[in-house]
Amino acid sequence: MLEKVKEITAEALGVETETLTAETSFKEDLGADSLDLFEMVMMFEEEFGQEIPSEDLEKLTTIGAVVEYLEAAK
Amino acid sequence: MKTRVTNLLGIRCPVIQGGMAWVADYHLAAAVSEAGGLGMIGAGGASGEWVREQIREVKKRTDRPFGVNLMLMNPEADVIAKILAEEQVPVVTTGAGSPEKYMKQWKAAGIKVIPVIASVAMAKRMERVGADAVVAEGTEAGGHIGENTTMVLVPQIVDAVTIPVIAAGGIADGRTMAAALMLGAEGVQMGTAFIATKEAAVHEQYKACIVRAKDIDSRVTGRSTGHPVRTLRNPMTKEYLRLEKDGASFEELERLTLGGLRKAVVDGNVTDGSVMAGQIAGMIHEIKSCEELIGTIISETEQRIKAVQKGVVWDE
Repeated sequence: MLEKVKEITAEALGVETETLTAETSFKEDLGADSLDLFEMVMMFEEEFGQEIPSEDLEKLTTIGAVVEYLEAAK
Repeated sequence: MKTRVTNLLGIRCPVIQGGMAWVADYHLAAAVSEAGGLGMIGAGGASGEWVREQIREVKKRTDRPFGVNLMLMNPEADVIAKILAEEQVPVVTTGAGSPEKYMKQWKAAGIKVIPVIASVAMAKRMERVGADAVVAEGTEAGGHIGENTTMVLVPQIVDAVTIPVIAAGGIADGRTMAAALMLGAEGVQMGTAFIATKEAAVHEQYKACIVRAKDIDSRVTGRSTGHPVRTLRNPMTKEYLRLEKDGASFEELERLTLGGLRKAVVDGNVTDGSVMAGQIAGMIHEIKSCEELIGTIISETEQRIKAVQKGVVWDE
């Protein structure tokens, strides 16, 4: 799951997968704006087949937080 | 003129007035709806009670459909969302995010929901959560803007969703509206053009800036902060852009624009204030009534499309 989330993040934001860790923050480390975040969330939804309501977006600040969220929602 | 947008909203012309903060109050909204378009109240950063009052004032002045734009970063967004449902506002447009959490409440009140979006992913998401249409707003627009131009954004959004798409950004006459229709839009939203109307309760100085503006007068401040805003150039933008180039802090830059729109719209201070307007300001040369504006744009659009059909000769 962590690897897949990293891959999607790398693709959505145009960064190298190797530079990403669970602690990487989308906004602070990768400079993602709100459009980027929605882009990524749509990709996560497609990949993992579950919907992520917009209220939950503010919790999803790091790669690790996304993994945890997706694991818990399974 | 009929499109899916006129049918959806129960209006005569598929022309929606932008829900501009400070500018779009009941005066303008009622006038636009009476003229056959969709008038909008801009909730901007206003309080719930202000919004309720505006809604009631519009209802007193017209029986036609109108709407409210809810800027989702408004600290009272939850309160306003509830008021919109209670007042059964016919149409709601939203900006600065996703209105998903209000969808159920609004749909139950029979409200048509039209999020303003600036990307394909957002448009698809909005369709999935039940939006009735979307406004695709290009970077030509005034105020807070995205990166893509209307020319590039609209066809991509049209391809991505099946709900009607309303084009915004860079539209103010029959040529630009005809172009939007060619891109696949079924309606347009105009902001700047409606500021330059008799009915807009905006300081005369602000309107004069738009009428006077030339093609080269548009500026974007705040690109470095991630919150780009399009205005007409003035001493404030000059100072802002200089500071921005010198790498000034976010706080320093914020100080220049804090309350800037109010200054320009209400006080008519167009030197220090934020004179938000789209690039199209360069093409607006006179103050019209809302009825003239909408009437002209529809007849020009028709003429334009017919002229193009006649003017181009296709190879056999």
